[in-house]
Amino acid sequence: MTATPTSAPSRVHFGDLVAAEWIKLLSLRSTVPVLLVGVLLCVADAVQQSLNTYNAWPTLDASFRAGFDPLHDALNGICVALVMIGAGTLGALSIVGEHSSGMIRTTFVVVPARRMVIAAKVAVMTTVTLAAGVVITAAAFLISQAILDGRGIGVGLGDQDVLRALAFDALLPPLCAVVGMGLGSVIRSTALSIVAVCVVLVVLPASLHQSVHVWADDAMNTIPYTVWQRMILLGPVPSAAHLPTVAGSWIVFAAWPLVAALIALVAVGIRDV
Amino acid sequence: MIAVDQLTKRYGRIVAVNLLSFSVPPGKVTGFLGPNGAGKTTTLRMILGLSHPTSGSATINGRPFGAGGAGLRRVGALLDAADVQGGRTAAAHLHGLARSNGLPRRRVDDVLEEVGLASAARRRIGGFSLGMKQRLGIAAALLGDPPVLLFDEPINGLDPEGVRWARRLFRRLAAEGRTVFVSSHLMSEMESTADRLVVIGRGELIAEDSLAAFAARGGGTGVRVRTPDPAALESALAAEVGVTIRADGDQTLLVTGIGAARVGEVAAARSIVLHELSSRTGSLEAAFMELTANGVEYVAGEAR
Repeated sequence: MTATPTSAPSRVHFGDLVAAEWIKLLSLRSTVPVLLVGVLLCVADAVQQSLNTYNAWPTLDASFRAGFDPLHDALNGICVALVMIGAGTLGALSIVGEHSSGMIRTTFVVVPARRMVIAAKVAVMTTVTLAAGVVITAAAFLISQAILDGRGIGVGLGDQDVLRALAFDALLPPLCAVVGMGLGSVIRSTALSIVAVCVVLVVLPASLHQSVHVWADDAMNTIPYTVWQRMILLGPVPSAAHLPTVAGSWIVFAAWPLVAALIALVAVGIRDV
Repeated sequence: MIAVDQLTKRYGRIVAVNLLSFSVPPGKVTGFLGPNGAGKTTTLRMILGLSHPTSGSATINGRPFGAGGAGLRRVGALLDAADVQGGRTAAAHLHGLARSNGLPRRRVDDVLEEVGLASAARRRIGGFSLGMKQRLGIAAALLGDPPVLLFDEPINGLDPEGVRWARRLFRRLAAEGRTVFVSSHLMSEMESTADRLVVIGRGELIAEDSLAAFAARGGGTGVRVRTPDPAALESALAAEVGVTIRADGDQTLLVTGIGAARVGEVAAARSIVLHELSSRTGSLEAAFMELTANGVEYVAGEAR
């Protein structure tokens, strides 16, 4: 074994970095249990709500029945907060976990091309959380509709706006995860970045309400939670309300993760580790 | 080859490293010595592109390390054995690092075997002792079979057998033609390991020399001899070639340039009585203490 000193930097391949980040994510003790528990909780919540509706349906009055949204039980449970905080935290920890442990120095000595490492992290985290989102949405939808079909009130994939609603629901976890990565790469503290995830994704939107000011509604309509709420709605929309448009919703769901990923890519190049 | 040129790092008003210049040649073990807080780790981080220098430059084989792509085949580094995530197994940790550089899985088993951690491969790093983490860090540095290796305080936490193993490893890596740069705050660690020394204190270069030349700065290796008649002995020894003699108290002379045996022979030839004749050891440590006395950042029990 004789070393031949080389000055040429060896090329780094994005596929190798993605494979490495995949190994790193899945070899952490918490990743798989967190994903499994999250998926199970959300599906269980959808089942519970659908069963409630199924059982109560004969006793409900006509006006409630008329306004019933068949997707509500599957998608609009308490677990949306869980999904947003869970995915956001998973994303933040994928960055902050390396900073707090010092692993980031090991990572960047092994691959000095920092931005490519972060891009690979974003790719892996997006894939994993999108997969979780698709599983949650699909399972919740299929089981919920099977239950509601027993009362003849379910919908199918072919019905109007259903696929779009499901798409927005499945895209919420990866969006939150990438936003978490952006926050984590700026904040770099475990506790503070989780607080930031909660505030930005959940607390802030929950504290805003439709108002008489159009500019305030416009601002609200740029928030993922507001957009998600509107886009999973199949029932009649109040015509006077200044709600997100479909085009605007797609833009919001594209812009948030893109900006967050850009922040993560820029932040990692500037500061010492 | 590592080249550091006028390297400076300031954190606000604190100057961690100041106009530091030195080079680390291939084929040798170069020790990087300095008291705690001297700026060793800061310097290593700048060499590895983790910290941006305020001014100056550091290159490895002619290029700034941080500018390149994959790192493992160019440089192996152990900065801090704790720079790992404890939830992973040793094998998974190394597998992730190897995969990012496109290295085959087989290298993981190779290096774990090499550092003696093969039996701990499936254990989580969080449960490792410091010595085991050091071995794991050394294993990571060896993954890419690199021509340049940097180790920051690699001996910390190793047991005596581990220390011997690490020293042999560093010597072997250098003998294979690699550039080996090992930091420490203890001179004694370097005595039997390093060929060359770079010594810093308070962020500035104090010495850059071969081990022998460095020792000479601090009084050098020599002979301590005590006699009731120092004047007679001094005049007798003065005839020897290359000798220097210093008085150390009333009856003691410090002789450098010739060995203890020769001093004894000269004294016997003149029938001069000797009360003590000893080779000075630990002079490297003395040289280090002397040279860094003004460069110590934290002094115990002393108001500054």
